[in-house]
Amino acid sequence: MASATASSVSFTSLSSSLRQNQVSHLKKVSVSFGGKSFKPVPLRFRVACAAKPETVEKVCEIVRKQLALPADSAITGESKFASLGADSLDTVEIVMGLEEEFEISVEEESAQSITTVQEAADMIEKLNEKK
Amino acid sequence: MRGSYLRMKLHCLDRKFFHASPTLTPIQLPSPMETHLWYVIPSEVKSKALLNQFLDILSPCEKEDVFQMRGEEPRKRALLARALVRTTIARYQMNSQISPRSLKFRKNIHGKPELEWQFSDHWLSPPLHFNISHTSSLVACGVTVNSQIGIDVEEKHRTIKHNILSFARRYFSKDEVQFLADILDPEIQRQEFVKLWTLKEAYVKALGKGFSGAPFKTFTIRYNGGGGFNPLENLNREAQEIVVDSFDEPIELTSNWQFELLELAGSHYAAICTENNFASEGKRTVPVKLTVWKTIPFLEDECVSGTDAVKTISGSK
Repeated sequence: MASATASSVSFTSLSSSLRQNQVSHLKKVSVSFGGKSFKPVPLRFRVACAAKPETVEKVCEIVRKQLALPADSAITGESKFASLGADSLDTVEIVMGLEEEFEISVEEESAQSITTVQEAADMIEKLNEKK
Repeated sequence: MRGSYLRMKLHCLDRKFFHASPTLTPIQLPSPMETHLWYVIPSEVKSKALLNQFLDILSPCEKEDVFQMRGEEPRKRALLARALVRTTIARYQMNSQISPRSLKFRKNIHGKPELEWQFSDHWLSPPLHFNISHTSSLVACGVTVNSQIGIDVEEKHRTIKHNILSFARRYFSKDEVQFLADILDPEIQRQEFVKLWTLKEAYVKALGKGFSGAPFKTFTIRYNGGGGFNPLENLNREAQEIVVDSFDEPIELTSNWQFELLELAGSHYAAICTENNFASEGKRTVPVKLTVWKTIPFLEDECVSGTDAVKTISGSK
């Protein structure tokens, strides 16, 4: 149980620590302000339809290009577009890029629910299965 | 206490406050036909102490969200966005002594953030609506009373990776594609694209039903009175109102929404969409008074309406 005064995050030393006992979901994330080191989070594998690694990799590439991220920036399946700096226009462009790369058509209802690389990859495979 | 004096320049309200400790200048609620817009320029907020003050007023969830952002600048922007919302709304409650930290938010069934009213706290103010938008260089918050609001800001020089007409064909309505295709100058076409994007985003955000609630292809935003784009008409653009036509909604409903399009801080296009509950017979829009403040919460506010920081491009008059 965390109290309000236990907050140990601050901007003075440009580093952050995470109050792990306040995390309301399963993920644990460790970030540094320098942005260069990023500990990968444990992936939650969805039993039914985990996308192929190649698909995830291609999605990462498209996201990296759209957001002009350096080649060595760590993007994984769990990466959220918003956390990587994508705004709504970027996200729409990412979806359009995915449509072109994978020759699929994404409806706006589905597009709205895609917030991470993994979700995009899963949706792509699902749409490919229907072809 | 850092001993900083707080100098408020409130040209519009013609008052000056001097405070010895950081605080928020109270502001009167906007009237039903008024919109307030507050914005922060992140690059002007440098003090770590101030950033920590902002961090201090966030909820635990908001703090988590801030630190999920990758990189110092995105983190700072996320922090400023939440701090701007909390401090802005708190200004309107000063009589009831609501602090920025005590505000509670929730999401409507479609995910649009809204203020959670707690009548047990004796909040007597009428429903206050807000919406935020930010780019890498500006964070903005619009406020209304009794009216849904959606805002969107984009950098004037924003470019997209795709070809503009390809993008428009994929996402915009046929009329909008035609409007853009008729523009021969690529730079003007790009500008009009960005403006149109902000207007469409503002509309969808005002509706509060999410992207899929009003798919971009199902409505057209246009300048009333104009068919195609005519560079000469541009001179009269300020006199033209912006309207939305929807394929799904009858005109009685779409005429409820009106738009303001501005050039903000010399660097951004800003679109504001609000509900219009007062349109009389035959008139689609009623004049909306827009007041704009540039702010660094707890530090300084400046009313910039009527200055170069706010240039109306088009909208209701």
